[in-house]
Amino acid sequence: MAIASAAAESLTQGTPETTENDLQPFFVFHKASSRKSDKKPTGTGKTRRRIDLSPSSPNKTEKSEPDKAGERDEHCNEHLRTEAFELVWSKINSTIKDILRGINTNVFNEIHHWVLESFNAIQSFGTPGFTEATRSFPIVTDANSKLLFTGMVLTRNMEFVDDLLTFEDLGLFLRSNGCHVANLSSLDFSAKSGIGGCLRGLLRQFLKATLYEADISILASWYREQENHNTPVVVIIDDMERCCGSVLSDFILMMSEWVVKIPIILLMGVATTLNAPRNLLPSNVLQHLCPSKFILGSPAERMDAVVEAVLVKQCSGFSVGHKVAVFLKNYFLNQDGTLTSFIRALKIACAQHFSMEPLSFILGGLLVEEKQKGEKSGLQPEVVLKYTSQLPSYARNQMAEQNGKSLVHGFSELRRLHKCWSTVVLCLYEAGKCNKIRLLDLLCEALNPDLYTSRASNNHVVLEKDVGVPMATDRSIRRKYSTLRKGGFIGQIVRKVRDLPALMLYQLLKSWEKTTVDVLEIHEKVKDLQSLLRFEDGKLKPNVDDISKKHSSRSPLNMEKESKEVNEKAAALIDCLVRDYLRPIECIPLHEIFCFKNVEKLQLALIGDPRRRIQVDLLEFHKILQCGCCSKSGNVLLPSMHDTSIMYSLAQEHGDLINLHDWFQSFKTVVLHPSSKGKHKSKQSPNPKKRKYSHDSENKGEASIQARFCRAVTELQITGLLRMPSRRRPDCVQRVAFGL
Amino acid sequence: MEINNGVEDEELEEEEFGFSRNYFLAKELGGSGKKSTRKLSDIGLVDEQELRAAASNIEPKHEKEIVALMNSYKSLYPKWVFELRCGFGLLMYGFGSKKSLIEDFASTALTEYSVVVINGYLQTINVKQVVISLAEVLADQLRTKRANTSGNLSKQPFNSRSMDDLLAFLNGSQTQDKDCFICIVVHNIDGPGLRDPETQQYLSQIAACSCIRIIASIDHVNSALLWDKKMVHTQFNWCWYHVPTFAPYRVEGMFFPMILAHGSTAQTAKTAAIVLQSLTPNAQSVFRVLAEHQLSHPDEEGMPINDLYTNCRERFLVSSQVTLNSHLTEFKDHELVKTRRHSDGQDCLYIPLTAEALVKLLAEISQ
Repeated sequence: MAIASAAAESLTQGTPETTENDLQPFFVFHKASSRKSDKKPTGTGKTRRRIDLSPSSPNKTEKSEPDKAGERDEHCNEHLRTEAFELVWSKINSTIKDILRGINTNVFNEIHHWVLESFNAIQSFGTPGFTEATRSFPIVTDANSKLLFTGMVLTRNMEFVDDLLTFEDLGLFLRSNGCHVANLSSLDFSAKSGIGGCLRGLLRQFLKATLYEADISILASWYREQENHNTPVVVIIDDMERCCGSVLSDFILMMSEWVVKIPIILLMGVATTLNAPRNLLPSNVLQHLCPSKFILGSPAERMDAVVEAVLVKQCSGFSVGHKVAVFLKNYFLNQDGTLTSFIRALKIACAQHFSMEPLSFILGGLLVEEKQKGEKSGLQPEVVLKYTSQLPSYARNQMAEQNGKSLVHGFSELRRLHKCWSTVVLCLYEAGKCNKIRLLDLLCEALNPDLYTSRASNNHVVLEKDVGVPMATDRSIRRKYSTLRKGGFIGQIVRKVRDLPALMLYQLLKSWEKTTVDVLEIHEKVKDLQSLLRFEDGKLKPNVDDISKKHSSRSPLNMEKESKEVNEKAAALIDCLVRDYLRPIECIPLHEIFCFKNVEKLQLALIGDPRRRIQVDLLEFHKILQCGCCSKSGNVLLPSMHDTSIMYSLAQEHGDLINLHDWFQSFKTVVLHPSSKGKHKSKQSPNPKKRKYSHDSENKGEASIQARFCRAVTELQITGLLRMPSRRRPDCVQRVAFGL
Repeated sequence: MEINNGVEDEELEEEEFGFSRNYFLAKELGGSGKKSTRKLSDIGLVDEQELRAAASNIEPKHEKEIVALMNSYKSLYPKWVFELRCGFGLLMYGFGSKKSLIEDFASTALTEYSVVVINGYLQTINVKQVVISLAEVLADQLRTKRANTSGNLSKQPFNSRSMDDLLAFLNGSQTQDKDCFICIVVHNIDGPGLRDPETQQYLSQIAACSCIRIIASIDHVNSALLWDKKMVHTQFNWCWYHVPTFAPYRVEGMFFPMILAHGSTAQTAKTAAIVLQSLTPNAQSVFRVLAEHQLSHPDEEGMPINDLYTNCRERFLVSSQVTLNSHLTEFKDHELVKTRRHSDGQDCLYIPLTAEALVKLLAEISQ
């Protein structure tokens, strides 16, 4: 109830004095309570117990015993879920990191090779003797020795945020290969801290110490020290284009002077084109650079790899429903376009899932189990049963005996079905690659439960109808392949498979063979199909034994026909796989435990929309407060409404400038006259002087109304919906937001 | 699917179009027709004192509903704690002061963690000081945690360390315990004292530290523009929560001038004192020199800058014109000091406060 009193206190205007703490720039609110005294094995039970889980039962002391027990269960469960989240997310996160690192391996190796070459080139200019090298001024020899080897790493991505991790990884990679590495960012090259800023950054990373007087000679003598000698010094700047040009040029000039003493090699991330340095740096600086070019993988490529590992292969067991997948796709395409944002959205989805779904902790248990096979997970069967029986999909499928066995069976069945699903998706993806179909698009379609049910229901009809009908027309083809009837990506892919040239078909089947190796039933079908094709004299030929027996003559025309037949068979296979195995997780019992479906929650947590929401708060405040007095007013402004709401509603009728006098008059009219009809009338307010009040109360009322007006204006100013009068127009305020 | 997309696109377009249309309609409404030219002074403004008295006595509306609304957010507390522990930051937005809501959350649900509050609605906040005290709290926490293995922690006092060092300490892996973190509550992370890009950079770096979790509130509709993608996605890591409270912005609004008060730019002695107290002792002394001059020469138009400079130099308050100017800029930014043209043509400085307010102010800052 503390909040109630606090709120009430803040509402009672009789005590406007603020407390001491309100005026402190910052203060320690409280220190962590010592947890040792009642620390339980469940960890954080204490806090949780103090919170009412249901606001309807405020009195904790009167709780009955079973209630308490239930609460304890709840804590235990919550703790388990937190742990499960950590397990699952760290698994997902490490998978993503591995994937991204894998994509970059080739480029990293290339860069490392180049670093070594450059280092040798620098060394060939001659290494200075000890006395020379420790002098605190640079050695000047010929122009050649003043060249700074610079690797331009093209990120092919306007959003540098996706590449932060890449450059971090690059640093680690080079370090593990024996280079000295410092990672700098544009923040180190700001105009404010100047050249000292980046030097300090370098010294901090190389010497592991903060020095107030940043001097390059310190770095030189550090390099001279025994163990640091004979290794290249790599400086990585991850977002070169955002650096302050003058600071960066100073830095480059200085480094080029010292390059004989400290073999510095630059690596700079470039988002746009290789011309970027030319725009940033003057030519006398550019001539010191000896650039090379490296290209990172494209964002789309990385996206597909991440989606494949996390959402299709499901490294962690966590998955998302169709709507969430569609939302994630749209968010990626429309909102942000960065992989980082996608991963963050995924993390929020994951956290939301574990905070809402009581049974989600099973996921953690299963993950642990997988790690140490054979060992029992710490699940309590009773608890699991209690929650499982509440799952709608469980009830729907009427798994009658609610015992542990059926549950375990349910889980393994879900696993199996899902394994099949992901295999089919990957097969489709392989086939769709030549059509440049993105995995995320495909995923959304493959997760759609409606498509699945329609496929399943049409299936029977089609089979009955189509027996023995030769496939000649397009329509009949459509009828034959259930997948073709609906457009979409899967349809496209099946069509593509039908038209694939023999060689590509052969490769496709090979990749299918690899993909399906874990799922025996599908694998065999692929193998059968593969045996129809064989590689002969560098040319693909349909297997003679199988097909050609029926055909006596083997003209080229026939050959083509035969290979077409294999195509048909491949298409039929993938069609059949889609029909039989592409069962979205939402159509499998018990999926609620593993699958996050609440797209609204995700959207709210991920995308705040203060600009719209705050205005809606003001314009429709009665919907949020749910008060009896203002709800039924319709469009009429009532004096009982929140002052700022009245003011903002009135402001909607003004242009970009609001005359304060008019605004005040209409506000006054609304506040004094409950019956004023509609907003429109209130604008032409009658002259206040005509009204007759007793003088005293009028004055008092007037002061109060003016004060309320002031406060409302201040509040609108705080929300940024209003700009204060300028010197040029002292009687007008400016509206900032137009429309929601 | 495709149809859906189409519809969405259309809606989006419609929305965008609607926005620009609204803007131009508003422009038109303002430009054409009878433009109201009535003056603010026609209202018959009440006396400023009376206005302030009335402002502190405004009758609250919907008290009951607001309390109920606040209470309804209590059910979200466990979820918020869960998300903090998962490593997210919480960002509260929606109309109304969220100060008491967040502090109630901190005092009931976050007892296990240390909580540091930053009042972003104030005019000046020294982020370095905040970081120092965060480091102290953390060091304290670590010390109590492993009383026997302490000693290697405090080799150098925190207030002499650099920002990078402090951030490294907050981000350190001194503890394997993932649950050992400090929560910072930032009221109005979009407030005037925190709004500049440099401070936001620091805040985001603080938020990204492994031993820190952040809970912040915003009120400005355009606050999201303060952050770039790196800050949003990798540092703050916000979970947004729409929690309108409709509670009055009592403290938050304190520093805004009342629009109907005469000379709405005039600061009260109280707000001036708060600003002054956040400045360095030297800056305070410079201000004192000016104030004393103004009190002893009530009829003059102000103090010429040169006089102020010599005066301050004699007292070793400033060493050069540059340092004086930096103090003056600070004063002017907070409207503590203004300039006007003297009758003989030179610029002179004055404090826009009455003599008695000035006396009160001097008494307050000399405490």
